[in-house]
Amino acid sequence: MKTYTKIALSALGVIVFLLAWEAVARSGIVPARLLPSPSAVPAAFLTEFSSGTWQTMVLASLSHYLVGLSLGTFLGVSFGTAAALWGRWDAFQAWVVRMLRPIPAIAWIPFAIIWFGVSEAAASFLIALTVFWINYYASYAAVRGVDKDLIELGYAFGQGGLIPRLFKIILPGALPGILSGLRAGLGQGWMTVVAAELFGISGLGMRMMEASGLLATHIVVLYMVTIALLYGVSDFLFMQVQSRVLSWQR
Amino acid sequence: MAAVTLSKTATASVIDLEDVSIGYGKDAPPVLVDVNLSVERGSFVAIVGPSGVGKSTLLRVVAGLHTARSGGVTIHQDQRPGHRPVGLVFQDSRLLPWRRVIRNVEFGLEGLPVSRDERRQRAEAALKLVRLDGYARRWPYELSGGQRQRIGIARAMAVDPDILLMDEPFGALDAITRHNLQDELRRIHQETGKTVLFVTHDLEEAVHMADRIIVLGGTPARVVRDVRNSAGRDGAVFRDQVEQLRSEIADNYSI
Repeated sequence: MKTYTKIALSALGVIVFLLAWEAVARSGIVPARLLPSPSAVPAAFLTEFSSGTWQTMVLASLSHYLVGLSLGTFLGVSFGTAAALWGRWDAFQAWVVRMLRPIPAIAWIPFAIIWFGVSEAAASFLIALTVFWINYYASYAAVRGVDKDLIELGYAFGQGGLIPRLFKIILPGALPGILSGLRAGLGQGWMTVVAAELFGISGLGMRMMEASGLLATHIVVLYMVTIALLYGVSDFLFMQVQSRVLSWQR
Repeated sequence: MAAVTLSKTATASVIDLEDVSIGYGKDAPPVLVDVNLSVERGSFVAIVGPSGVGKSTLLRVVAGLHTARSGGVTIHQDQRPGHRPVGLVFQDSRLLPWRRVIRNVEFGLEGLPVSRDERRQRAEAALKLVRLDGYARRWPYELSGGQRQRIGIARAMAVDPDILLMDEPFGALDAITRHNLQDELRRIHQETGKTVLFVTHDLEEAVHMADRIIVLGGTPARVVRDVRNSAGRDGAVFRDQVEQLRSEIADNYSI
């Protein structure tokens, strides 16, 4: 399939989806309060934007997101790599990891509030938690998967010590896998932003909660679209960086 | 357990193996026993034998990647600064895919007390030696199998080793490329005077390249023949030498 055919089809898909939605909303089958029409969203955007609410909420969420994402990614990659490198450490932490892993971020909300109060830190903590696990497992698998022959090459050429082995062979070799973890974390992080803000921390999630309380569903949709766009932009930017970093791949 | 000893005394030999015995695991029977071998400086020695006999294992011991069970392994290191005792060439070229060609060739130099400029110069000289000086900025995936092997040779030569160890370096190449690279290696050997220890299961290759051929055989394996060779590629002599080696190996073959 040619590139322009692909783009045309993707655009067509979005247009058909929006038209069908608009048609259902206008037909009156579903009451307008329950399902806002997409054509109401631009107007909602103008109101929110001119009052400055939209910008404030986006900036607030973005700051929770960036703090949580960096913290969770850094710790996840570090712990995942350490567990993959040292068998003793791996064995020591294996069951702790198994016990903590299945607890979803939202289950930590009570503790987040007790520890950090209804604060920015609480939201960032929850995002970091989600992102941590994704990066932990991705890095673990990626480091484990590094070609043993390349590590042997390091020993043969005097690069077998921990530092050169780690930075010249293991981490570059694991980079493609670590980056796919980062990418997955990027998406999951945005999902957690909303959940983390629903209980009153200023941001997109809180604004959605407020609007739904007033049955202002077109505003809810506006912020859903906002999150989708923010995710789209961050994923696109990440892919640009990734394709540069991994330009050595075929 | 006997690790490799590095000695600084000047001798006619580059490596000396004394009563070396090699095995994997603690209680497993040994793979190689009673290996006594001295490799003269500047010589080209081939190690041949059936697959699984322990040729590569012996090479790994000399390279310091595996420790002999007993016996002595000594490498007589030259006094020159900024070089490694051994340079290893693998059957799979084993280039780091995330490094451009020139950075792959520099790899072994990075742990040596060598300035950045000198590192680059030596890597460029090594690339020139294997006739790939136009390929410095390429990625490994852009190269053919033969080119990758040349880069592997350049990487090993860049560290200016006392001995070049080659583990079936042309085993995975097609016949034409293999022939080219055999000639290239002979030229490099003649130009640089490097000592080469070359593992192969290809007897024609051994007779064509080496001036001395060590035959390993038996279970556990030991050195069964040590042949001076000057057949080169010269018709009748060449065929005789290959046939003689073939029968030696068959006589000592056991499953």
